[in-house]
Amino acid sequence: MISETLDISAADFHAGTGWEIKPEGACKGEVCVPLPDGYSAEHAAERLGMAVVRDDASGLVAVGPESLTGRALVTAEAPEVVLPDLDGNEFHLSSLRGKKVVVVAWAPY
Amino acid sequence: MSLELSDPDASRPFIEAANPTHPSLLDPTHQLDALFGVINIPNVFWIDEEGVIVRPPEPGWPPSDHYPEWLRGMLDERDAAAQARADEVEADDPALAAKIRGGQDKAKYVAALRDWAEKGSDSEYAMSPEQVLAASQDRPVGKSEGAAHFELANHLWRAGNHDAAIAHFNEAHRLQPENWTYKRQAWSLVGNEAAGGGEMGRFNQWPAPGQEDDWPFEGDFMTESGATPAGDYYPATI
Repeated sequence: MISETLDISAADFHAGTGWEIKPEGACKGEVCVPLPDGYSAEHAAERLGMAVVRDDASGLVAVGPESLTGRALVTAEAPEVVLPDLDGNEFHLSSLRGKKVVVVAWAPY
Repeated sequence: MSLELSDPDASRPFIEAANPTHPSLLDPTHQLDALFGVINIPNVFWIDEEGVIVRPPEPGWPPSDHYPEWLRGMLDERDAAAQARADEVEADDPALAAKIRGGQDKAKYVAALRDWAEKGSDSEYAMSPEQVLAASQDRPVGKSEGAAHFELANHLWRAGNHDAAIAHFNEAHRLQPENWTYKRQAWSLVGNEAAGGGEMGRFNQWPAPGQEDDWPFEGDFMTESGATPAGDYYPATI
């Protein structure tokens, strides 16, 4: 996720990374990682193996995806994905629950 | 889902030509890479009725009889050239020959998808959660760093700061060399500008002859894809 500061609220951290801050720690699907020092984005990123990269000229900071297990997927539970269609209408991947879903990644290049 | 950071018009002609009955979405920041481990196009993954991933992203081309004539001819020619190349190196380098022949089996892939559609979790192609995790892309912390650089590059390019974006694209490519969406996205942006846009502008992913010194990336599609056997570019997973 991109931010102007690493002082990121728990709600924004959840929206940006998919990891929800709960009493038991940072959670995604059935996986929870304890945060012994309590929540801060810096501590959560460190515990989850998320790289933090700063762009000094713009002042922006990017928090990379988790790497704590060494695999791209830490749970088989599909994360929520909210993306627009051509007309800008937001579509929630979770709205397809109850159906089998095949997701195709393509690009015009 | 279209992994293209430019505005929707870059994807529009393809979606309108396909006129799909299924949802067709835009993923300008390549969320699919970070969230699921997509690294190339086409990469395809399966999610069951309960929202559980049963196959992680993998190459998912359909067989060539699903393509338009011109593309079928091009890809069949390329496959034939690869087979000839594999035959040529077989004696000296059997491992390389196997890699060249090891690309995705298109007919098998679609048959597997139909099998799952029919049998669900009883399909031999539906993985357990443990298998899904193990079969997803590997991700040491360096790849998280590459993804963070890509996100900065993506953001800065859209803000019009192309030089700063290119520096971060190069870092993303260095840290995630196996991620072809990170590379082809960046190459196509610069190649499209150099070509002055047009219908095929985004397929210019290498420097024009005589303009090599202006090309701002370490690699380009022509050089890198030429040096990558099919078994590495679109590995057979079924």
